Amino acid sequence: MSKYPPGKYTPAVEVGLDRMRDMAKGNFDLKWMHANSAGWGHQVTPGPTGLRMRDIETGYYGQVPEHGSTHGSMAPRGCEVPPGTRSLPMYTMNEMSEVWAENAGLLYDEAVVRQWNSITDVPWDKLQKLPDDIERAVCQMCTGLTEVEFVAGDMPAKWLCRINHDFHEVKLFLASQIFDEARHLDVFRKRALANGGGLMMASPGQEELLATILEAPDYTTASALMHIFGEGFVLTLFRQGEFLAPTEVEKAIFRLCMQDEARHVAYGVKHLKYFLERNPDRAEQVHKILDLGEQAIFTLTLEPQTSEPRAILAGGGLANIELGAQRMAFIYAKQVKEYLRRLEIAGLDREPRLTIPKEIPYEDLAA
Amino acid sequence: MANTTLFPSTQWFQALAQRMDQDEAGYRELGPLECTMVVQVEAPTGTELYEVGFEGFKARSVRKLASVAEAAPEHFVLEASLDTWREMIENTRANAGPDLTHTLNYLTFPDEPMRVTGPDQLEVDAFYRYNQSLQRFFNGAADVPTAFAP
Repeated sequence: MSKYPPGKYTPAVEVGLDRMRDMAKGNFDLKWMHANSAGWGHQVTPGPTGLRMRDIETGYYGQVPEHGSTHGSMAPRGCEVPPGTRSLPMYTMNEMSEVWAENAGLLYDEAVVRQWNSITDVPWDKLQKLPDDIERAVCQMCTGLTEVEFVAGDMPAKWLCRINHDFHEVKLFLASQIFDEARHLDVFRKRALANGGGLMMASPGQEELLATILEAPDYTTASALMHIFGEGFVLTLFRQGEFLAPTEVEKAIFRLCMQDEARHVAYGVKHLKYFLERNPDRAEQVHKILDLGEQAIFTLTLEPQTSEPRAILAGGGLANIELGAQRMAFIYAKQVKEYLRRLEIAGLDREPRLTIPKEIPYEDLAA
Repeated sequence: MANTTLFPSTQWFQALAQRMDQDEAGYRELGPLECTMVVQVEAPTGTELYEVGFEGFKARSVRKLASVAEAAPEHFVLEASLDTWREMIENTRANAGPDLTHTLNYLTFPDEPMRVTGPDQLEVDAFYRYNQSLQRFFNGAADVPTAFAP
């Protein structure tokens, strides 16, 4: 008597058992062997550093559709999708211009080969006992960065699962960004806890900016606000962190994070450029979200738990905090200048619309 | 001085490129880079420009330029006086790598004594994106006995 009598299992299992019975009799389907003839015989030449995405996404497979496929499945771009494949309603971002950037594949390649980790790539053995005011300043700076870093993971995660699978270059890049941000959160928390200090005060000012990013009405405005504006400002803070680093440990941390952040900014600039070239009428929406972001970051920049630790580090100690604040006054102007220049590349003339000062006249204000 | 290489010169940057070749495993750990760097040296005798093109784990080209206009369209420029370059190189040689106040980022961040510029901000951002590799490239100076132009 058969161990699998008809009718014992659900219809879906029965279909599978029927299929197995056929195979046991030597009846194989093999239709898949002749599927997708247009995509067969693809020729690939690896680049000098290995097999990069740009090396395989050529010809038939390099054709990215302006309107993503309507089958709504996870089927990879370029394969044959059998009729009856289930459609998943979650993919609501189906227009290339909503997400695309010409450098997305390149930046993904770069991200995966430039990976690092906070366990072995930071020379923790070079940590030194620091004066109390310096250690507190480093720990406060790391607390703030731990808080801010993961928005740049949460924001792409919020949108990633909505993006059509035909735009896998973008999905992969955003996935790499989420892991970059995880590493940043990890390494800043680790530094705050590693040298006898600890986490210090959270930043209500940062939460305002983070909320604006997470609540942005669509992906492109969220990206403009986060990739170009927020991460551009943070990139400068990372450069400043390397500049102010009291030991080789912080130096290494900030240098590694700086590289990651610059990739995210590069994607944001190229995405906004691609988007605005095809949707010039949407520029006003981008301006409006940047209005909000600028207001939030101005408050944040001058929040004591953000600005004062950096002034202490720049001055060389609490006793010289005023000198440090003067020394670091140029940072803000640098952030604004680079922000405007990045938007210019993207095709957005922001300067006439800027809602915050281009520089903080620290000495005038002090007078 | 015997067995020294003059800075700035094509030979000096080629010496760093050779060290990069010999250190491929180290560069592989950092990841490949694709960018063009122009080094601008303001010397008492005038401005000198050198272009280093990076691809993968190699400096694929080194050449002297008559002007920045000759550089590859996508590039960034590191500008400093000869004295600043000299101090950075000597510090790198003395410490087998730069100390905390002689890294490329440290020197360029306040826009003095060194500046990074480029045709657009994304080109400048390439300096940030590949900073570890570029720093390692200049760290190669630790092994290059260097003489300096008067």
